[in-house]
Amino acid sequence: MTEFVMQAEDVAIHYGGVKAVDGVSLTLTKGQIRGLIGPNGAGKTTVINAITGRQPLTRGKIILQGADVSHTDVVQRRKLGLSRSFQRTSIFGQMPVRKQVELAAHMMGVEDSGADADDVLRELGLDRLSHMTAQDLGYGEQRRLDLALALVGRPAVLLLDEPMAGLSVQESLELAKHLQALTSRRDVSVLLVEHDMDVVFGISDAITVFELGRVIAQGSPAEVRKDPRVREAYLGSAA
Amino acid sequence: MSIKQISISTATALGVGAVVATAVASGTVLSLLTQATIYAVFAIGVGLLLRQNGMVSFGHALFFGCSGYAVGIILQMQLMSAELAIIATLAGLLLIAFAMGLVMVRVPGVAFGMLTLAIGQMFFLTASRSRGLTGGADGMNIEWPNTLFGVSMSVLTKPGSMFLLCWTTLVLVVLLLSLLLHTRFGSITEAVRDNEERARFVGIRTLLPRAAVYALSALVTGVAGLLSALNTGFVSPENLHWSLSGVALMMVVVGGYKALWGPALGAVVYFLAKDILGDFASHWMAIFGVALITVIVFSPTGIAGILDRVFLGRRLARAHHH
Repeated sequence: MTEFVMQAEDVAIHYGGVKAVDGVSLTLTKGQIRGLIGPNGAGKTTVINAITGRQPLTRGKIILQGADVSHTDVVQRRKLGLSRSFQRTSIFGQMPVRKQVELAAHMMGVEDSGADADDVLRELGLDRLSHMTAQDLGYGEQRRLDLALALVGRPAVLLLDEPMAGLSVQESLELAKHLQALTSRRDVSVLLVEHDMDVVFGISDAITVFELGRVIAQGSPAEVRKDPRVREAYLGSAA
Repeated sequence: MSIKQISISTATALGVGAVVATAVASGTVLSLLTQATIYAVFAIGVGLLLRQNGMVSFGHALFFGCSGYAVGIILQMQLMSAELAIIATLAGLLLIAFAMGLVMVRVPGVAFGMLTLAIGQMFFLTASRSRGLTGGADGMNIEWPNTLFGVSMSVLTKPGSMFLLCWTTLVLVVLLLSLLLHTRFGSITEAVRDNEERARFVGIRTLLPRAAVYALSALVTGVAGLLSALNTGFVSPENLHWSLSGVALMMVVVGGYKALWGPALGAVVYFLAKDILGDFASHWMAIFGVALITVIVFSPTGIAGILDRVFLGRRLARAHHH
C-alpha cells in the first residue's frame, strides 16, 4: 500500500455561496513533486492556504504523516512538518540573511540551528550573501531566501506557491534545478503551484489540474498532457 | 554591536554622567539636563515600540503619568513604604501593560495609534476629574519620605545627584535593552515586526512577543514617569496628556528609532532647541516643526541614521584604504 506523507481529502472552501474550492482530494508520497496547475482563479492558492491552516476548511480533512491536522493552526502544522513559500516573496526584510534562516531553524527545534541554516544557504547558493540584509538582495536571491526559510527544520512537505513568479528564464531554470536536487537530498515532498509549464512538466512526478475549484485531471505529466479536458481547459493546442 | 563594545560604551557613558554631575556648577543647566534625561528615557520607551513592533503610539503619556499617580496615591494612602511603592508600581505597570498589549497589538496600523490616543485621553480626563483621589486638574504633590533606598532626600534632590540618578537610569535602560535585544527574544521580535505572517510560518507564535514589547515599552516609560515624579515631587493630568505623547514621538522621529539610543538623542536635541530657540522666539515649536519636517524628508532614520551613515562611510573608507 502506498504511504502518503500528506493527504487532502474532499477539501472544500466556501465563501458564503461562492465555492472557491469544492471536493478536492490530492496526495503526496515521500519525495514526490506534484505540480498543481490551472487557470488564474482556479483555487490553487486557496488549496495551499487550506492545507497550511491559513484558511479554515468548510469541509474535508488534511492528514499529515498519518495524523489529522485539520484543526491545528499554522504554527502547529509547521512544527509537524508542513512548510510553504508564498506567491509574493515573504522574508524578513530588515534582518541579515543567515540570522533569519538560523532563527527559523531554531524555532523548528533544530538542535544545531546554525549548521542547518548554513547547509540550506549553501544548497541554495546563498552562503556568500549570509551577512547581507535581506532587503538588499536581488529579487531572484530573495525568492531563494524565501525557499530557504521554508526548508529549514527538514519539513516533510513543502508547498510552493509560484516560486518562479517574476524570475527570468535563467533564474527559473536555476531554481528548478535547485528544487529538484533539494527534494531528493532532503527527502521532502513538494506541492508546486506554478504557471511556467516547462518547469512544472519538467520536474514534477505527478500533476493535478484545477478548474473552477475542482480537480479535472490527475496523473503523470505524460498522462495529463494527453488529457483532452486539460488541453481544452488550460494547455491549449500548443501543449 | 558586540557585548564588549556595549560594556565599553556603558562604562564611558556612566563616566561622562559623573563628570557632568560634578563639573557643571549651574543648577539651571543641571535641571535642564535632568529634564532632558528623563524625557530621553520616555522617548526610548516610545521608540522601543516602534523599533521592535513597528507600532506608533500616540498615548504613551498614559504610562508616564500613571506611574507618578500610582506612587503618589500609594504614598498618600500610606499603603506601603516608598521603596515598595516604586517596585509595586513598576511591576503592576508591566503586568497591566502586558494584558493591554495582548489585546491592543492585534489592532493594525493607524487604528492602533488611535486606540492608544483614546485610552490615554480617557485616563487624562479621569485624572482631571477625580479631585478626591488625584487632586483633579490641579494635580497632586507626592509625599516622598525623608530617605529613599537609604539615601537622604535632601541629597537625592540636589541638582547634581538628581541628574546623576536620571543619567545612570538612562544608561542602565539602554544597556539592559541592548542586552535583551541581543538575545533570541530580540531576533524573534524583529522577525515578527518585519513579517508577521512569515514569522508564523517559521513556527513563531507572534502575539506574546508583540505584547511583551508593548509591556517593556510601557515599563521604560513608567520608569521615566517615576523619575519625573521624584524630580518634581508632583504629578498632574498634564503628565497624561496626548501632547506629551506627541512630544515623545517627535523626539523619536528626530533622533531616529532604528538605533536604541536614537530617541534619547532626539530628547537632548528637543531640550536644547527649546532652551536656545525659546530665547529668540515665543513660537519656538514652529521652528522645531520645520526641523522635524526637514529630518523626515532628508533622513527618515533621524539624526542617529545620519551619524550611522557618516561613521559607516568612514569605516568603509578606512577598510578601502587598508
